[in-house]
Amino acid sequence: MASDEDDDYMNMTFGEEPPKPTETSLQRRQRLKREGEIKAHAKSKAVLAAEEREAREAALSKSLLEDAAAKKSKGLAMMAKMGFKKGGTLGSVDNAENARREPIRPEMKDDRGGIGLDSERKRKLDEVVEEELKRVRVDENEFRDRVRREREQARNESLVYAAMKVCERMDEEAQAHAGGAYAEAKVETEAGETAAKKKKKKTLSTRPLKSIPVVWRGLIRRREEAERDRRMKYDLEQSSSTSRLPTYEDDLEEEDDKRAMGKLSTTHAQVEDLDEEDPELDEFNALEAGERLRLLVEYLRKEYLYCFWCKCGYEDDAMEGCPGITEEEHD
Amino acid sequence: MTDSRNQKAGAIDRKRSSSDRETDSPVKRIKTEPRGDEQPKYNPYLAHWDEGIDNKDGIVSEGDPLKNFKRRESTAKQAFEAESGDNNPFTGQPHSQQYFGILKSRRNLPVHKQRQEFLDLYQKAQILVFVGETGSGKTTQIPQYVVYDELPHLNHKMVACTQPRRVAAMSVAQRVANELDVNLGEEVGYSIRFEDKTGPKTMLKYMTDGMLLREAMHDNNMSRYSCIILDEAHERTLATDILMALLKQITQRRPDLKLIVMSATLDAEKFQRYFFDAPLLAVPGRTFPVEIYYTPEPEKDYVEGAIRTVLQIHAGESEGDILLFLTGEEEIEDTCRKISLEVDELIRETDAGPMTVYPLYGTLPPHQQQRIFDPAPNPLRKGGKPGRKCIVSTNIAETSLTIDGIVYVVDPGFSKQKIYNPRLRVESLLVSAISKASAQQRAGRAGRTKPGKAFRLYTEKAFKEELIEQTYPEILRSNLANTVLELKKLGVEDLVHFDLMDPPAPETMMRALEELNYLACLDDEGELTPLGAMASAFPLDPSLAVMLISSPEFYCSNEMLSITALLSVPQLFVRPAQKRREADEMKNLFQHPEGDHLTMLNVYHAFKGIVNQGQDAKKWCHEHYLSFRHLSSADNVRAQLKRIMETNGLDLVSTDFNDKNYYNNIRRALVTGFFMQVAKRENNKIYRTLKDNNQAVMLHPSTVLKADYDWVVYNEFVLTSKQYIRTVTRISPEWLLELAPVYYDLDSWEGQKDVKLALKAVADKMRRRAAMKGGR
Repeated sequence: MASDEDDDYMNMTFGEEPPKPTETSLQRRQRLKREGEIKAHAKSKAVLAAEEREAREAALSKSLLEDAAAKKSKGLAMMAKMGFKKGGTLGSVDNAENARREPIRPEMKDDRGGIGLDSERKRKLDEVVEEELKRVRVDENEFRDRVRREREQARNESLVYAAMKVCERMDEEAQAHAGGAYAEAKVETEAGETAAKKKKKKTLSTRPLKSIPVVWRGLIRRREEAERDRRMKYDLEQSSSTSRLPTYEDDLEEEDDKRAMGKLSTTHAQVEDLDEEDPELDEFNALEAGERLRLLVEYLRKEYLYCFWCKCGYEDDAMEGCPGITEEEHD
Repeated sequence: MTDSRNQKAGAIDRKRSSSDRETDSPVKRIKTEPRGDEQPKYNPYLAHWDEGIDNKDGIVSEGDPLKNFKRRESTAKQAFEAESGDNNPFTGQPHSQQYFGILKSRRNLPVHKQRQEFLDLYQKAQILVFVGETGSGKTTQIPQYVVYDELPHLNHKMVACTQPRRVAAMSVAQRVANELDVNLGEEVGYSIRFEDKTGPKTMLKYMTDGMLLREAMHDNNMSRYSCIILDEAHERTLATDILMALLKQITQRRPDLKLIVMSATLDAEKFQRYFFDAPLLAVPGRTFPVEIYYTPEPEKDYVEGAIRTVLQIHAGESEGDILLFLTGEEEIEDTCRKISLEVDELIRETDAGPMTVYPLYGTLPPHQQQRIFDPAPNPLRKGGKPGRKCIVSTNIAETSLTIDGIVYVVDPGFSKQKIYNPRLRVESLLVSAISKASAQQRAGRAGRTKPGKAFRLYTEKAFKEELIEQTYPEILRSNLANTVLELKKLGVEDLVHFDLMDPPAPETMMRALEELNYLACLDDEGELTPLGAMASAFPLDPSLAVMLISSPEFYCSNEMLSITALLSVPQLFVRPAQKRREADEMKNLFQHPEGDHLTMLNVYHAFKGIVNQGQDAKKWCHEHYLSFRHLSSADNVRAQLKRIMETNGLDLVSTDFNDKNYYNNIRRALVTGFFMQVAKRENNKIYRTLKDNNQAVMLHPSTVLKADYDWVVYNEFVLTSKQYIRTVTRISPEWLLELAPVYYDLDSWEGQKDVKLALKAVADKMRRRAAMKGGR
C-alpha cells in the first residue's frame, strides 16, 4: 500500500498510459497462485477429449440461423435480399420436398466396429436396463402381494395335509366299518395311538399305492418314501464299517462267522410300486395348493359326507346345515 | 430471336455468333420441309465453312456415306450402313482393319439393339433421361449415336459428354477415338483441368464436369454445343449437380440444345421429375445374378472380418477373383500385407492355390493401378488349385473402374466421405457407412463375368435399418464458397432460388456468403467485386485465389504460386510404414522452423534445383522420401496457375532471398487468404481455433513446428476421433489486425474474451508504436 502511495507522488502522468489495474498485491498473489495451479494441473487426455466432444456437440446442435449473431450476419442479409425467409429452404419452390433444412451431421467413427455393432450393443444394453427396471418395479409394487400369496400358499399346503389326514382317517373308518368291526376298531384306535399307527403302517404298505384315491395318495406315498429312506439309511449305517471298504473274501469263512462279523448284508423287501412312475399323482401335485384343497374337500363331501370346514360328517347327500363348499362360506 | 440471344450472350465473338445462326437454320428447315431432299451442302452458311476447314475432306461429296443423313432425322439403319462402309464418314479415310473388329464387338453391346428407339426419343424430346447399368456400353456408344445424328462436323457445334473423373474422361475418349477410327485430339478429344486435348476439328469432346462448368463461366449459353450428355449423373458430384441446374435453365433459353442425362442406377424417376418429366429410356446391363450373404452378427472389427472372409473364400470357393472394399490408403496397404502373409501360411498348411493381392486407391501411381488388370497367378503345380487375385480397393472400384474376372465381393459397408458442416466450418474426410444404393453397386461388381457372390459384413437387419437409401449428393457435403463464387460468375443472381435437385441447408449458403464477404469477393450487397471476379478465374478455393491475387503486394507472388500449387496436390512426403524414421530424417533436411508451408516451399525449390541441373529427379525424390509424381503434378499446376496470373495482369515478383523479410512476406501473404483459419495457443499443446470456429485442436503430428508458437495459420482441420490442424505456419497477431481488419474487428467481437484481450493488447502496442513513429 505504502509503495502505491509513493508511486502516486512520484508519478508523472503520460497521456496514453493505460489505467492501473485495481488489484491489491494480496489479490494479485492469489490470482497468480490460482492461475498457476490451473496451468500446472494439466488436463488428462480423457478430460480433454470429453471437452472437445462437448464443444463440438454444442456447435453442431445449434442452428446458425437461430444464433444471436445471425441478426448481424451479412450472409443472411444477402440471402434475405434474394427472398429467403427464416424457416424456409433453398431451391425452387416446386422442389421444396427435396430441400434440406439441417446440415448433415458428421459422425465420428473411432473404432473398427462393423455396421450395426453400435446399435446392437445399444439394444442389448437397453434390454438389460429394461429388465432391471422391471425387476425393481416388481419389488416395489408387488412385495406385499407376494408375501401374502406365499403365506396363503403355505397355509393351503398345511390345510391340504390336514385334509389328507382326514381322508386317511375316514378311509380307515370306512374300511373298519365295512369289516363290521366298527366299534372294535374305534376302541382300538382310541386305546393306543401307537398300536394303531403300527397297524396302519402294516396295512398300508401292503396295499398298492395305486388303489388309494389320488387326492390323498400323496400323503401315503410321502410317508412310505420317508420310511424307505430311513431304512436305507439304517442299513447303510449298519454296513458302513464293512461293505463300503474293499473286503477280503475268505472262502473258508463259515456262514455263521460271517453273520457274527456282520458281513452278511441284510436285505429288506422294497415296496415295489414306490419306484414306479405315477403320472396321475404328479399331475395332481402340479396343481395349485388351493385347487388341491378344493378337490380334497369335494372328495370328502362326496365320499364320506364330511365337511372339512364344519369338521363334521353329515347324514345324507343334502348335507343340511353346511353353508357351502368354500372356506369363506363358513366364516 | 437469334439476334436477341446473341445480344444476351454478350461478349461472344463474331465467329461464334455466325455459328449460332447456322444451328437455327436447319431446325427451321426441318420444320417447314420435313421431307426435303436438300443436302446440307447447299446450306449457304455452311458453304462459308466448307471453303474454310472442311473442303479438303470432301465430306458431302457424291460418295459421302452421310449424304442421305439429315440432322436430327437420321435412322439407326442409315447409321448402320454408314458405319459398315469402306470409308470413314468423318475423315474420308478408308477404315482400318482394327475398326471392323471393334465394330463387331460394339454391335454386341446391349445398347446397340435399342439404337432406333434411342434416336426416336432423342429426336422428339429436348431432354432425355437414359438409364443403363454398367456394361451396357452407354458411355462409349450413346455419344457416337448422337454424333451420327447431330452431324457436328457440318454444323460446327460440338457434342460434349461429361465424366466425374479425369481418368475416365481420358480413357473413354481414347476408346471412342479407336472405335470411330480417328486420332485422339482431332475428331474426338478430351478436356480435363490441366490438359486440353482437342483441336479445331473436334466434334465429340469428353470432359470432366468441372471443366464444362468452367467453360460455362465464359459462355453462359454453352453456345459451342448442340448436345450435352451428362454421364454418371447418379454419382451426383458437385459439378454435375450445378450443371444440371444450369442446363435446366439454358435448355429453356436455347430450344436447339439437347440434353441427355445418363445414370447407372434406377432412381431415374427423380431425374425425370426434375427435368420437366423428361422421357426415359432404360437399357439392361450385361450382368449375371449375384448371391448376397449377410453375417449373422455385427462385426466387432470390420477389417479383421474382411481378412477372414477373403481367406475363407480363397480356401473354400471355386475359381474367381476377389474384390474387397476398404476405406483408405493406410488401411488398404496394411490389409494387403496381412492377407499375403495369411495366404502364405494357408499354402504351407493346406494345398491352397496362390493368391496375389493388389491395393487400389486414387493416389496410387498409374502404373501400379494398372497392375490390377494382370491375370491371376497360375496354379503352383500342374493340376493344383487355381490361383486367384484379390484387389483391395477404395470405392473407386465401385463405379469408375471395371475389373473383369471379379466373382466375389467382400463389402464391410464403409467408405471415406467428404463431410462439410457449416456449424463446425469443417470439411473433412470421414469413414462413414455407405448407402443401400452403394451396397448394391458393390455387389453388382461380382456379376460381370459369371454368376457371383457378395459377402456383406453386416446383418440383413443392419442393411435394412441403418443404411440410408442413397449416398448424399456432394453438394450437401461441401463448403459452398467456391460454388457460390462460380454461380455468381455464371450470372446466377438469385442464389436462394437456384433450382438445384437437392438444395443444401440454408446455413451452408449463409456461411459461404459470409466467407466470400470477408474475403472481399462479394460486397455487402452480395455483388461480385472485381477481386471476386478475378478469383473465380482460378480453379481454386476462394481463399487460395485471394491469397494468390494479393501476393504481388507482398513481393512474393512466385513463392505463393508455388505454395498454392503444392497445397493443391496430395501429400508430398512419403512415409512408408517400415521406414518412418528415415523418412522423418529426410524431411528434417527441408525443415523451416516457422512452418509447414515454408518447408514445402523448400522442398519445391530443392526439387526444381535438381531438375534444372538435369539430375535424375525421380531418383532424388525416392532417396528423399518425396513423391515425384505429386511434385511433378504440382509443377504442372503451377504452370497453369501462372498462365492465369499472367492473363489477369498479376505481376510475378519475388523478394530477394537474402532479405530478412523474404519469409515474413510469404507468411503475411498467407494471412491474406487464411485469416479465417487461425488458431491461438491456449496452454501446453492445446490450440483453439478462433471466432465462430472455437474448437480445441492440436497440431498434427506431421508438423515441423518445434516450438509452441502462440499464433498459427493452418491449411486443414482434420476431424478424426481427435481434432488436429495440419500444415501449420507461425504468424504474428499484428498481421491479423492489419490484413483482416473486418474479420478481426474488436468492437463487434463476441465470445472468446481472452482472445479479444490478447488482440486488444496487440492493437494498443501497434497504436503506441505508430504514435512513437509519428512523434519522431
